[in-house]
Amino acid sequence: MPSKLRFVVGAGLIVLAIGYLILTAVRNTSEYYLTVSEVSARHAQLGGQMLRVAGRVKAGSISWDPATLTLAFAIVAPPNPDGSPVKAVAAAEPAQFRVVERGEPKPDMFAAGRDVIVEGRFAADGTIEARQVLTSCPSKYVPKKPK
Amino acid sequence: MPLIGQLALALALLVAIYSIGANLIGLRRNSPELLLSARHALWAMCAMVTVAVAALWAGLLASDFSLEYVASYSSVTLPLPYKFAALWGGQQGSLLFWTWLLSIFTSIAIWQNRRRNPEITPWALIVLAAVAVFFLGMLNFVTRPFDLLATVPPDGSDLNPLLQNYWMAIHPPSLYTGYVSAAVPFAFACGALITRRLDDAWIRTTRRWAIFSWFFLTLGNLFGARWAYEVLGWGGYWAWDPVENAAFMPWLVMTAYLHSVMIQERKDMLKVWNLALVGMAFMLTLFGTFLTRSGVISSVHSFTQSGLGPYFLTFLIVVIVAYTALLLSRVKDLKGPAEFESYLSREAAFLFNNLMLVGIAFAVFWGTVFPVLSEAVRGVKITVGPPFFDAVNGPLALGLIFLMGVGPLIAWRRTSPEALMRTFMAPIVMGVGAGIAVFAMGLRQWYVLTALSLAAFALGSVIVEFRRGVSARRHLVHEAPARALVNLVAKNNRRYGGYIIHLGVVFAFVGIVASSFFRIEVKRSVREGQSFTIGAYELTYLGLKGIEDAHMEDLGARVEVTSGGRAVATLMPARLFYKRQQQPATRVAIRSTPLADLYVVLAGVDDQSGLATFEVFLTPLVFWLWAGGFMMAIGTVIVMWPNVRERAALAAALGRDAPVAAETPLEPQAAPGGD
Repeated sequence: MPSKLRFVVGAGLIVLAIGYLILTAVRNTSEYYLTVSEVSARHAQLGGQMLRVAGRVKAGSISWDPATLTLAFAIVAPPNPDGSPVKAVAAAEPAQFRVVERGEPKPDMFAAGRDVIVEGRFAADGTIEARQVLTSCPSKYVPKKPK
Repeated sequence: MPLIGQLALALALLVAIYSIGANLIGLRRNSPELLLSARHALWAMCAMVTVAVAALWAGLLASDFSLEYVASYSSVTLPLPYKFAALWGGQQGSLLFWTWLLSIFTSIAIWQNRRRNPEITPWALIVLAAVAVFFLGMLNFVTRPFDLLATVPPDGSDLNPLLQNYWMAIHPPSLYTGYVSAAVPFAFACGALITRRLDDAWIRTTRRWAIFSWFFLTLGNLFGARWAYEVLGWGGYWAWDPVENAAFMPWLVMTAYLHSVMIQERKDMLKVWNLALVGMAFMLTLFGTFLTRSGVISSVHSFTQSGLGPYFLTFLIVVIVAYTALLLSRVKDLKGPAEFESYLSREAAFLFNNLMLVGIAFAVFWGTVFPVLSEAVRGVKITVGPPFFDAVNGPLALGLIFLMGVGPLIAWRRTSPEALMRTFMAPIVMGVGAGIAVFAMGLRQWYVLTALSLAAFALGSVIVEFRRGVSARRHLVHEAPARALVNLVAKNNRRYGGYIIHLGVVFAFVGIVASSFFRIEVKRSVREGQSFTIGAYELTYLGLKGIEDAHMEDLGARVEVTSGGRAVATLMPARLFYKRQQQPATRVAIRSTPLADLYVVLAGVDDQSGLATFEVFLTPLVFWLWAGGFMMAIGTVIVMWPNVRERAALAAALGRDAPVAAETPLEPQAAPGGD
């Protein structure tokens, strides 16, 4: 085989192998990343799937038991960026899901009204069994532009 | 002060634009005066940006809260070192810092090339000035560091507590130095392409810059990992977060570049590939800045979202399109004479190593932008997390470690299988032996067995190289072994420094594999006096101790650690509360030994029940990740050390009379030579 061709073949095989690794890894590890409203819209198809859900911790919904390390709360859609509350879709109750996390300490900045990303399994009854609760930094640290 | 800073930035922008114009006209009219004036203009730019940086530092140190930046990222009670570090704590400041580094590096490049590369340098300076114009444009019009507040607050809102840590004080400058210095090789590559001076003068001219950039990218990544380890309190050091990926990708591509240029210097091959790599490395540094500053991809790093995104994206696209077009238009001039002869050659090993490094970079890129792409194409955001990166990069890392063992020993051009067996006997024996030993210890994961065997193989290959060099010196120059070793490294610093980096990579790799596979984790809430165990350790919670000052509250838990009834240590993990930002943070207590790290986090204290929640990790061999990183840094310093032989090669490449080489390099007979 001419040497040039031989190297194109060798390099091509490596590139193919890398491509194959990426493809299978995407297939095996990807998760939906949804907002609370999107979860409620696709409710039916999501049972049992691993999800990442972005939302806000509902005030007054938190229960935390330090002895068993069990954290439960409700996640809701955050209000619109302009500050007005989310308008509930007519006749539908505002989207809200129960989140339960077991065996993990309460995240540092976890509090009512904070934005969180919950990673976990979406159970058929609409509860999210969280594997991880990430708190994003509250927006008050973003410097406001004085006008 | 703010006025001075603002003015300095405006002037810097003007002189940078002037410099581009003077260079262009000077080149057209063939006017040395104009070309010189263009260089002086860039020195003036550097001086102006320095004034702006000094002005912002002055504002931070004086707690001048009329400056919006100071009010946003500092406070009266912020400790002094962090007031300095606040320069890169926020967006405007970090862009200013970036521009400052760029202007300094440009000035150094001008000085280095005051008498060499007369054709390439003006074009390289035009490219560097154009990059500076972009950043200065941002600083003057879009994200201004010297904006004033209408009403002056009595105190600032403080630096983010997560950034109030010494690793964070040194991590961004390291990373930025690595990022920005990648612009110099890129600029000279552009100059070489434009002027069609496509021999390896541009490579040799900027080789030290590329290594310098790699050195700081390495440190930047390591410091970032160390910061995550010490501060974030989740027991790990790397989470494949987009921002980490942004720092990792240029490092990968730069690593590939540093290897493949050796092939060009030696065999005059892979010219297009090298130019592509140096371009990619620079673009990835821009992409990294874009990622962290645009908010396009959600990250746990809380960066300010801002209007910078579109500008950065536009600039990035312009750079990609222009550079690709330039490269394609010169492909004909870049035909290399030599071709690959055999798979069993060092060229092949280097080529495959390059493909793997770029492959990893591509996989990381793909995983990072996947959510955005999937949303654009399928209308739903799909993310891939750490499992994706592990699944792809795990096997590729094995390939790389294997090639790292092959590369130093295999001959250039071609090798016969018999010679190959002879050369590789010792490393293979070491690799297989390590595999058997690990198997005998009871480990059965295929990945761990393979990884440790390959690590031992790569280690063996470096040892063989050192042994060969030392024994050659002992026989030829009759030196004692220790002295021979020192001289070997000193006289061939580029080659043996590189091997020391390889050693560091092997150690870091072993640390990463062990800590990823064998970390154990215990989470427990206990009352005062209660104990729990992790591995061979027993931890007893002895009570709380609180300290408070104007800046923060510090609530520590005393934890006694015993092992087999013997006291080992008393640890003091703490919960911190930063008053200005009303934000809690954690201070991890780590007891590190070469065998394993005991990592204790006080995750919470419940006032009602008196329960303290601890999160404890026992991570084997993670020490070796940091030790390996340190070794990589040492090796790089050795590589960068000035060397007579290299200066001669540079002079030769530039077509001047080479200074007389002080000593003929000692190349052991059997060694195929090289770097």
